[in-house]
Amino acid sequence: MFTFALPIALLLLIGSTTATGYLPGTHVESQMIFVPSIIAFGVIVAAYVNLGAKLATLRHDGVLKRIRTTPLPASAYLSGVLASTAATTLAITACIVAIGAFAFGAVPRASGLPEIAGGLFLGVVCFGALGLALSSVAGSAESASPIANASYLPLAIMSGIFDPTFPVPHWLSAAVGLFPVRALAQILQQGYTPVVHAPATDLLVLLAWTAAACAFATWRFKWH
Amino acid sequence: MSTAIEVSGLTMSYADRPVLTGVDFEVKTGEVFCLLGPNGAGKTTTVEILEGFRQRTGGTVSVLGMDPRAQSARLRERIGIVLQECGFPRQARVAELIDSWRAYYRNPRDLEDLLQVVELTRDRNVQVRRLSGGQRRRLDLALALAGDPDLIFLDEPTTGFDPESRRRCWAAIENLRTLGKTIVLTTHYLDEAERLADRVAILQGGRIEVAGTVRHVARQARVKTKIKFAAPERVLDGSLAPPRCLDVVVSGEVAVCQTENSATALRELLGWAAANDLGDLDDLSVETPTLEDAYLELVSGGTN
Repeated sequence: MFTFALPIALLLLIGSTTATGYLPGTHVESQMIFVPSIIAFGVIVAAYVNLGAKLATLRHDGVLKRIRTTPLPASAYLSGVLASTAATTLAITACIVAIGAFAFGAVPRASGLPEIAGGLFLGVVCFGALGLALSSVAGSAESASPIANASYLPLAIMSGIFDPTFPVPHWLSAAVGLFPVRALAQILQQGYTPVVHAPATDLLVLLAWTAAACAFATWRFKWH
Repeated sequence: MSTAIEVSGLTMSYADRPVLTGVDFEVKTGEVFCLLGPNGAGKTTTVEILEGFRQRTGGTVSVLGMDPRAQSARLRERIGIVLQECGFPRQARVAELIDSWRAYYRNPRDLEDLLQVVELTRDRNVQVRRLSGGQRRRLDLALALAGDPDLIFLDEPTTGFDPESRRRCWAAIENLRTLGKTIVLTTHYLDEAERLADRVAILQGGRIEVAGTVRHVARQARVKTKIKFAAPERVLDGSLAPPRCLDVVVSGEVAVCQTENSATALRELLGWAAANDLGDLDDLSVETPTLEDAYLELVSGGTN
């Protein structure tokens, strides 16, 4: 429930004050940036924070160890967990898109569908893999959520997820660009409005983090 | 009778540290086999190799005719494993959880049947986190049985239980035996092994010290039978010596005779009593060696 509540509450609360008018110095309507940013936020909460904490809890409780005693192949079990994460992410995204459209008039462009679908797919895979990695880093079930929040929240703020006009120094902005949070948000923003970013770079950043997270998870993932 | 598990010359080393140095034993189909041994003797390692969780260093291992490591997926279909300290999903209810576990197997056992074997039929709708320790253990058992396995591994099934819960867990295990399942048990409780196991094996220093029925193990350990009786007054005041051919020790008011041949010793003892007009010896009892006596003798070189 909390997984749904947080992005939607932020969408409504922040959106009601900022999602109007044009971004300063541009012809871009601010809700066209804000709504897809919150979609990215929803993906991160569902795939990274939630999945990481869930797996850490299952491991801590010994449920993963018990699963290993059954004939169910490890890959099938993990695919199932990722699929249910993907389903949750899609449901959250659907809510955000609907609220964004009805409350703020932010409707994706028809030609932006590839960016939205591709962004969602890559986002779930990338942050899901990061969630797997997170669950292996967290020493206990209790520490998984704090670690998750401490790692993505500052990045989300610096990436302008909650406020696209949030001022950051140039060097920090460049550093933030190396992380997958802003990369995902920018790909999804392309689905709403054609803004000039560097989509190839964003794609590369997401793919690189996906590869790194998968490698780390394969190396460190433990069943008990 | 066919063989469920065959182990010969099994060796295992962790980074050059040898843990198993040539383990040989076999488990027959339908028997309860108990692996005993002090901590660090290699029990867990042995069982994990049999379950397919670990790759052995050397030797041959056959479990239900399969190599447990190379054919682990196929093997998992036919074995059930009860591990120590394994949790449940937090929100689950008893019957739901068992049912979801049945979905992992090709030929699952009937749900009602499973509930009945572990005596959880009345608790079927209880949330798992509300179960007592004994009930959780029986749920462990139900999950291990979900695939209707031919072979079940039980790792210390009753550790930390009160006597009532232990007895119910034992009853559930005995139910399994009547179903014809082969059971491999590890335990620290020798009375548990004695009660449940058809045969035991004692693992020590990386190899099997002795294996067989409890009686066989006791014989191997050369544990003596104790014949006890109330020491007659004349023995206590020193005016009559106990029979010289027997090893009799008087401690307090009890005389204890240790022997490897209880029939001969008893005849001797009663003859001595009759010859000295002692009548019937009061409180006469014959204590055959328990598994615990044999185990202690073998593992720590004896307590006496």
